[in-house]
Amino acid sequence: MSHNNKKTLYTVIGVVAVAAIIFGLYSYAGQESFIRTVLSGLTLGSLFFLVAAGLTLIFGLMDVLNFAHGSMFMLGAYIGWQFYTNPTFIFGVLPLLLAFAAGILLVPLFKPKLVRLELSDVWQKRLPKLMYLAALIVGGIALWKFDVIGLADTAMVAAVTTSANPLAELSAQEPLLRFMWRPLLLMVSGALVAVGVSRPGDRTEITAPEPLKKRLILLIVLVILTIVFTLVRENASEAVLLMNGNLRFLLAIITATGFGFLLGALIEITMIRPLYVRSFFIVLMTLGLSYVLRELVQVLWDPLAYQMVRPPLFAQPGRANTIAEWLMNGSSTISIVGVTFPTYRLFVIALGFVMFIFVTVLMTRSRLGMVIRAGVQDPQMVEALGINVKSVFTLVFALGVALAALGGIGAAPFLPVQPGMGDQYQMQGFITVVIGGMGSYVGAFVGAIILGMARAFGDYFALKWQLSPTIAEASTVIIMIVVLLLRPQGLFGKKD
Amino acid sequence: MKNIWKKDKGFVIFLLAAIAFPFVFSLLGQTSLTEGTNKFWQGQLINFFIMAIFAMSYDLLIGYAGMLSFGHAASFGGGAYTVALLLTYVAPDIVKNYQIFIGSLNITEIVVLLVCFLAAILVSILIGLLFSASAMRVKGPYFAMLTLALATALNLLTRATDFVEWTGADEGMHGVPVPYWINPTQNRLTFYFIALVFLVVTYILMKRIVSSPTGRVIQATRENEDRSRMIGYNPVTYRTLAFVMASVFAGIAGALYSLWTVSATPSMTSGVTTVNALIMTILGGMGTLIGPVLGAGIMQIFSQFFYTWFGARWPLVFGIIFVLIVMFLPYGIVGTWRMHGFKLKEGWQRFWDLLKTKPTAEK
Repeated sequence: MSHNNKKTLYTVIGVVAVAAIIFGLYSYAGQESFIRTVLSGLTLGSLFFLVAAGLTLIFGLMDVLNFAHGSMFMLGAYIGWQFYTNPTFIFGVLPLLLAFAAGILLVPLFKPKLVRLELSDVWQKRLPKLMYLAALIVGGIALWKFDVIGLADTAMVAAVTTSANPLAELSAQEPLLRFMWRPLLLMVSGALVAVGVSRPGDRTEITAPEPLKKRLILLIVLVILTIVFTLVRENASEAVLLMNGNLRFLLAIITATGFGFLLGALIEITMIRPLYVRSFFIVLMTLGLSYVLRELVQVLWDPLAYQMVRPPLFAQPGRANTIAEWLMNGSSTISIVGVTFPTYRLFVIALGFVMFIFVTVLMTRSRLGMVIRAGVQDPQMVEALGINVKSVFTLVFALGVALAALGGIGAAPFLPVQPGMGDQYQMQGFITVVIGGMGSYVGAFVGAIILGMARAFGDYFALKWQLSPTIAEASTVIIMIVVLLLRPQGLFGKKD
Repeated sequence: MKNIWKKDKGFVIFLLAAIAFPFVFSLLGQTSLTEGTNKFWQGQLINFFIMAIFAMSYDLLIGYAGMLSFGHAASFGGGAYTVALLLTYVAPDIVKNYQIFIGSLNITEIVVLLVCFLAAILVSILIGLLFSASAMRVKGPYFAMLTLALATALNLLTRATDFVEWTGADEGMHGVPVPYWINPTQNRLTFYFIALVFLVVTYILMKRIVSSPTGRVIQATRENEDRSRMIGYNPVTYRTLAFVMASVFAGIAGALYSLWTVSATPSMTSGVTTVNALIMTILGGMGTLIGPVLGAGIMQIFSQFFYTWFGARWPLVFGIIFVLIVMFLPYGIVGTWRMHGFKLKEGWQRFWDLLKTKPTAEK
C-alpha cells in the first residue's frame, strides 16, 4: 500500500514538474517560438522513436545491443534516396538479396533431418565452420566481377547534377543470361549458411515440428519474387522513374523499409544467431558490422553528402493555410496557429505517430506481440511452452531494423544523406532507450518525445545565448545521467 | 636479466629488435640514420608503439576487467588535447620568461613537457572518474551505451564551434609547437626511443598490475562478481580502479600521439579511435598483454599495405576481417595460440619422436 502511495506521489510530482516546465518555457519563449520549437521537437522525437523502438525491442527480447542500428538508419536513407533518384542499383541488387534469403529459408525444411545426423563432437564443431567457408567461396564466385560500383554510380551522377535527366543515366544492366547464375549461386550459398546455422548433429536443437506450410509458402513467395525481379531488372527502373514523384516517394519508403527488414533478418540469421552462446561477442559483431556498412557505403557512393530532392507534395514554394490547401498545391510550408512550419516535417511527425500506433497494436493485439511481450519477461519459459523463440528473434530483429530504415528514409529529404548520418541518431536512440527503460516501446516513445523536446529547446536556447547547437546536442547526455541516477531502470523499465 | 628472459622471451626479443632496428636498417640499406626510408619506417614504428600502449590500456579494460567500454577514445583524446593546448597556449610564455638550470644545463623545456604529461595524466584520471561515477552503477550493455554516449558528448565538445579559438573545432589544432629536441620531424630518432621507452615501461607496469593482488581481484570480479563480493572485495571499487588505470594509460598514449602528429583533432576523441583499439585488442587476443601489442603491429603494417592494395577504402577489408575474427577466432591470435599451441607443440614433439625412433626401430 505504501509502495503504491509512493508511486502515486512520484507520478504527481512528475506531472506537476512537467507542467511547470512547459508553462515556464511557454511564458519565456512566447507563443510563436514555443509552438515552432515544440513542432521541431516532435519531428526529432519521431525520428528518435523510430530508431529507439527497434533498439529497445531487440534488447528487451534477446539482450542484444545493436550497435549497427545507426548504420541501418543510414542505409535506409541511402536505399530510399537511391530508389527515388535512380533505382537502377536497387533493381540490380534486389534479386541477389532475395535469392540469398530464399536459400536460407530452404534449410528449415530439412532441419529435423540435419539435426538428427550422427556426427562426432569434432565434426559437430567443424561442419558449421566448413559450411560458412563454402558459403563464402560460393558467394564470392556468385559476385565475381559483379559491377556493383557501376550500378551505384548511376544515382550518384543523377544526384550531383540535379538538372540532368535521371532517365539518361540508366546504365545497362548485365544481360540476363550472364546475370542468371548469380542468384542461383547465391541461393546455394544461403543454403550452405543455413546448414551451418542449424547446427547439424546437435540434438539439443530438436524442437517441436515447425509449421511447414507457412515456411513453404514464404519460400515460394521469395523464389517467385526473385524470378520476377530478375526478369524485370532492366525495364523496372525506367518505369519507376516515369512515375509520379509522390508515388515514387511512397515506393521508396516501402522499398527502404522492406530492404531493412530483409537485411535485418539476414544479419540475425547469419551473424548473430551463431553468437548467442557467446553474448559478449554479439556487441563486438554489431560494432564491426556498423564499421563495415559505413565503409561499404563509402565505397559505393563515395564519402560525399547528398541532398535528396523533396517529393512534389512538399516541394512547391509557398505557404498553405489549411491542410487541404497544402494537399492541393503541394506547398513546402504550412501555417499552424500562425506559425510557418515545413510540411515535410509535419509528415515525419505523422510517420512517427503512425508507427507508434502500429507498434502498439502489434504488441497488444496480435499473437506475435503477445509472444514478444512474454519473451521480454522470460525467454526460456516461452521456449519451454513450445514456441519457436528463434524465429521470433529473427522477426523482431528484422522489424527493429526495418523501423530504423524507415526513420532513415523519413529523414533523408531534410538531412544530408552521408555515411555518418546515423551516428548521431544511434547515440540519441541509446539515450532514449536508457531514459525510457530497456524493452519498453512506450518508454521508447516517451523518451523520444522528451529527448526531442530537449534537443529542440536546447537548440532554441543555444541560439538565444549564442552558443553552437553542438553544445545543446552534447548536453542531452546530462538528461540521461539524471534519469540513471534517479531511476536506473528507466522511466518505464521493469526492475531487475 | 636472465629472470626476465625466462619469464617473457618474446618481449625481450621484441625489445632488442626494436632497439637495433634503426641501426641495422641504416647498415643494411646504406642509408642515413635520420633520413629517407629509415625515417619513414621509424615513423611507422612510432605509430605502432603509441597504438600498442593505447590497445594495451583498452585490453586492461575489456580483457582483464571485463568491462566493454566504448568511451576509451575520450581518455585518449583528453590526453592529446591537454598536451596540445598546454604546449600551444601556456608553454611558450613559460619558456620565454622562466629558465630552470641544473648546473649550466637548461632543462626548462623538459620540465615543461613533463608538467604537460602530468596534466594529461590528471585530466585522464578526471575523465576516468567522471565516467566511472556515472557509468559504474550499471553493467554490461548499459555500461557500453553510457560510455559511448559520454564519449560522444566529449567528441561533440571538441567539435563545437564555441571553442574554435582554442580547439579549432572541426579542423582541430595543427602545428603544435613541440620542443625541438623531441620534435618528430626534426629529431625522429630521439622520439623513436622515447616512444619505445614509454611502451616498455607501460608493458612492465601493466604486467605488474595484472599480476598484483589488486589485478587478481580485478580479474576475479570479471569472472564472478558476486563471489568476489562475498570474499569481501567491493567490485565497484576495483572496477573503478581498473577504469581509471586504463584511462591514465590511454591518456599517456594520447599525449604521445599529439606530440607525434603535432596536432589534436576531433577524430582522436571519436568512436573510430575506440573501434581501432578494439580491433587491435580482438585481433591480438583479449586478456593477454602481448596480444594488443601484436594486434597494433599487424594493423599498422597492414594499413600500410592495404592502402596500396585496396586504395583509400581499405578499412572495409579490415572491417570484414574483424567480423570474421569475431566469428571464427574469438580469442584472437595469442589467445588461440595459447589454447591450441600446446597441442601443436605436442604434435611436433610426436613428430620428432617419430623421426628419432625410426632408426632404432629398424635395428
